[in-house]
Amino acid sequence: MSLEINEGEIFGLLGPNGAGKTTTLSAVEGLVRSDSGSIRIGDIDARANPIAAKARMGVQLQSTSFQSDLTIREIVRLYAGLYGVPLARAAIDELLADVHLGEEASKRFGQLSGGQQKRVSLLIATIHSPPLVLLDEPTAGLDPQARRQLWDRIERLRDIGRSILLTTHSMEEAQAVCHRVAIIDRGKLLTVDTPAGLIEKHKDDPRVRRVAHGQVTLEDVFIGLTGSELRD
Amino acid sequence: MSNQPIAPPVHLPRLSGILRALLQADLTVQLRNGRALLLTFFPPLAVLYGLSTAKRGAQLGGPIVNVALALTLGIALIAILGYTASVARDRELGVFQRLRVTPAPTWTIMVSRLALQILSMLAMSVVVLAAAAVVEKVTLDPTAYLLTLLAVIFSSAVFLGVGQALVGLIRSVDTVNAVGRLSFLPLVALGLFAHSTIFGTTFETIARWSPGGAVASLLSGAMQPTAWSADTWWALLASVLYSVVFAGVGIRWFQWSTR
Repeated sequence: MSLEINEGEIFGLLGPNGAGKTTTLSAVEGLVRSDSGSIRIGDIDARANPIAAKARMGVQLQSTSFQSDLTIREIVRLYAGLYGVPLARAAIDELLADVHLGEEASKRFGQLSGGQQKRVSLLIATIHSPPLVLLDEPTAGLDPQARRQLWDRIERLRDIGRSILLTTHSMEEAQAVCHRVAIIDRGKLLTVDTPAGLIEKHKDDPRVRRVAHGQVTLEDVFIGLTGSELRD
Repeated sequence: MSNQPIAPPVHLPRLSGILRALLQADLTVQLRNGRALLLTFFPPLAVLYGLSTAKRGAQLGGPIVNVALALTLGIALIAILGYTASVARDRELGVFQRLRVTPAPTWTIMVSRLALQILSMLAMSVVVLAAAAVVEKVTLDPTAYLLTLLAVIFSSAVFLGVGQALVGLIRSVDTVNAVGRLSFLPLVALGLFAHSTIFGTTFETIARWSPGGAVASLLSGAMQPTAWSADTWWALLASVLYSVVFAGVGIRWFQWSTR
């Protein structure tokens, strides 16, 4: 699989369960070691220099958890310290207020709603202004309001030049926020283009025509290329 | 990823800053956890009081040995029950995976936790030694106190090694907790009889060279430097060997994630 993500681009990774989305992200994050190939973050070889690579990326894991006995303020202070961005209490509170969590600063992570937890995770992922942000299913389990808010935040990151690689199951999300989308399955890259480009490219593919109901959508392309069978 | 630089270079965090952040967080967690605090101080003090007031307490080896046994129990509780439980729980929750995607070298994550455990053991030891002066009338000269605290650090390596081996070999939180409790019998409780022939000399020999027995012998030897003997050296050597073997197993098979 070969992918290139440009500056200021939101790049979506689509695939059914078990396609290898999280594994791909884990390889970039350094959580799993790839047997071959290369991963570069700008001019940094992530396999040869993982610490420098990790300093240049912000990560939101699929199921994020933080130390259950720490408050949100303490968690932000910890991660700011780990990224070499020491923050005073007032600065942390300001950051939390910016994501509408000012009143939750003294609460534990587990006491927050799903949307609030995602906002904390995204805040921590971007606390050191990384050039690359990796988001693993950032809006999974969120209600429409919380999802829209998170999309706005992701788009704001793009507007200030961050490159964002996200995985999603949501075609709506891929179409709404991603500049380009890659569809992967069983660890292989099937196709990559803009959402509109993917539809244009595959609209006459018999596999896609077979599953389309009327006008071809991104979801038809996705199901056409990856198959209709259920995945665990 | 792109070969072009995609943003201005980000500076690398300093190791001292990373360790400070981790230690501060781990200390906060430790202090906020009432169960851990209770586990740290109450059982060794209760055992010390129990041994000093029990009719047959003297048969276990006398006041110095009683203090050493209380310290051994305290160290083992912190390491085998406290440390393993927190590592197993955080691993299951994904806390380690979240930390591992930061620029913090992975060894700093464990070093911070282990340092906090050793600090807890030293704090427990100071309290037990102070209580021993009252309960058992055991007072040491400054050199002996220093040597005892040094022996506590060596002893902590034995039981933290055991704890590391447990979380290295077992993934499930519940199983780690259950096996941790069960392992107390051969690893620690056996050591209570390291200086007693209540159950015969064969049992005493087995008890003396069990991890708990070696640690108890080392601690009681450190409390009486003038009586430091070949047995104390052997206890020190056994402690080092246990540490290396258990820690080696624990590090070799440790998984950061349960998934």
